[in-house]
Amino acid sequence: MPVENNVKILPKSVVCEESTLRGDITFSAGCVVHPSATIIAEAGPIIIGENCIVEEYATIAHRLADGASYDTNNILSIGSHNVFEVGCTVEAARIGDKNVFESKSFVGRGVTVSSGCVIGAGIQMRTAQLMPENTIVYGQQALQREAIEKQGSQTLQIDFLRKVLPNYHHLRKPNYDPKKARSVI
Amino acid sequence: MSFMQPSPVKYACSCGILNPINKLFFCRHCPKLRCGFCVCHEIESHFCSNCLENIPSSEARHKKNCCANCFDCPCCQHTLSARATTVPVVRKTEESKDGESATEATPSPKPSAMPTTKKMYYLSCLSCRWTTRDVGIPDQGVATGTWPDKECLYQVRFNTLMEYYQSLVLQEKQEKQEFLRRKTPKQHKFPSLTDRTGLTVSLIRRQIGWSDKNIPKTKPINIAAAEATAEVEALPEDIFTQPINLRNITTVAQRHSQPAEQPEAVSKLYPQRRSLWIKRSLRCRQCEHNLIKPEYHPTSIKYRIQLFASYHVPEVLMVRCEQPLQPGQANAIFLKFTNPTMYDMTISVLDVAPQDAQISPDTFQQACRIKEEAVTSSPLLKTTGITLARQNSIREVKRDVRELTNATIVPLEGPFVLNQRDDSKEFDEDVQAPTEEPKFIVWRKANKVLIRLEFTPAAELQSGNTVTLGFYMQYTYVNTVSNTPDKKEPTTHALYSRIFIEAGDIANAIAN
Repeated sequence: MPVENNVKILPKSVVCEESTLRGDITFSAGCVVHPSATIIAEAGPIIIGENCIVEEYATIAHRLADGASYDTNNILSIGSHNVFEVGCTVEAARIGDKNVFESKSFVGRGVTVSSGCVIGAGIQMRTAQLMPENTIVYGQQALQREAIEKQGSQTLQIDFLRKVLPNYHHLRKPNYDPKKARSVI
Repeated sequence: MSFMQPSPVKYACSCGILNPINKLFFCRHCPKLRCGFCVCHEIESHFCSNCLENIPSSEARHKKNCCANCFDCPCCQHTLSARATTVPVVRKTEESKDGESATEATPSPKPSAMPTTKKMYYLSCLSCRWTTRDVGIPDQGVATGTWPDKECLYQVRFNTLMEYYQSLVLQEKQEKQEFLRRKTPKQHKFPSLTDRTGLTVSLIRRQIGWSDKNIPKTKPINIAAAEATAEVEALPEDIFTQPINLRNITTVAQRHSQPAEQPEAVSKLYPQRRSLWIKRSLRCRQCEHNLIKPEYHPTSIKYRIQLFASYHVPEVLMVRCEQPLQPGQANAIFLKFTNPTMYDMTISVLDVAPQDAQISPDTFQQACRIKEEAVTSSPLLKTTGITLARQNSIREVKRDVRELTNATIVPLEGPFVLNQRDDSKEFDEDVQAPTEEPKFIVWRKANKVLIRLEFTPAAELQSGNTVTLGFYMQYTYVNTVSNTPDKKEPTTHALYSRIFIEAGDIANAIAN
């Protein structure tokens, strides 16, 4: 049974209309979603934290396990300040803050990404595992190393995109204001 | 056709090594095929492949063949790039304020409304996100240079060793000179007996009152020989009990990139200066003409002299065999010949070496009084003291091509003409006058000819064996190098080269 689309966009987010959004998705304030990015909430809702960037052809999927059905309590939570670069595919079980998924990388189901991790360009992570904080996976042999500090947040890039994207693309309007919602209650 | 895979057609170089045509050079002065093995490699210039800066060879040696500005990542060996950050600079007045916050400080004349910032730089790897901050190297105020060099632990030892060997070289040189001086008396205008003994000089010197002429002999400083010890530090206690965190241990590649230290811990990785690259020029060993000379500037990928074989020697392409290969069964192979030169060629395919065809190189060299510019010896050669005369003594060793054919060919009945290369012909209407062609020519267009060559694989071959057929291709080559000023006309030579073709594997025997 196809899940009804229910996309909540908080103010200050820039979500392009040409992106493919399916299911129950919540964008926190300051997110940037490029055109032709894909976010699929099949197994449960997806909540994306503040100031995340989802670039072109990036796919974030919350896929149904075999035989399972849509479950509102099965939430894929994505932290804040994450960057999903061009063409990456992320099906991770949980994603923390300040991670970078570089171009054409693949993170499969069962991978739990903590905070400050970098999945290098073209890296395929398919086995279920927990990635410790500040892990950097790089190179052809997918070597791992540990960074001293978390990756800096891309504030400049986000500000620039927020300014430029509305000039050339139709946007989905922010449709959910937490302040108003509170006033209603 | 043979893109990205080894070519089945190989040419025998004049030194006896088989190579595909794109790896061969053609010396127009000899005139012979040369390969990378039988030419003289010279360093034309040093440059950094990252910043493309040209570095003179003496400076390159001084800097140990490393670029002064560019660094490699010690973690993944990519190039590091400088990144800028803005750091707020704390004013001195504010500092004093912080220091003695309890006491009443004089109010600063300027309120700190305008925080000053300063640009600071650190190096970062875009591949593995390694930064100089990871190992605690402080940020620098300037983007390039000023990065501290990691002083090697054994630097002093290296320096003394180097000094020692340098003085040793000097001493040996002096001794050799002394020896030569004694052995060969100076050829004086008026030879006399006393010259031979060198008696007069020392006599005169003594009469004047000078001391005997003695060049102060350099004595090599003493160095302590390295001592081997059998005592090795014991393993740490916890090595068998504590789980190893592989992320803190360097990989073999990382250790090798830092040979002086070979650190075991990731925290000891330091940025490595980037090695320089070189531009090579190749020189024929027999006639000392340049075969390849690149343009000097590092940003240019062009050549000043380029004598690649594919510009001078007809190219042979294997198209296909007529039938599946069977031992002892007559077969035929289709070969495409292409003429790269601006002159028509006459080609014959032979199974034995033509006797009179090859001109002997010595007579040829005599014939062409080379009015070539004086052989430019590169600065490196001068500094190292290698003279060209010495190079010349490295004569190539003639080798016979190993007999590796296992098929017999039927030589073509006669020679055929390969038309000149004409780029404009590509656009012409294809109106070929019907000409009398030899039987073996299958197809002809512009400067290309497809021929059919009959051959028989050896009868004793097993299935799966590779069939190699070889032949001599004799071709006429028009030498356009103007040798003598009075003889302007290009001369025509009949040259040959041996060609080996891997026709394929013997097919599985057909079940009767």
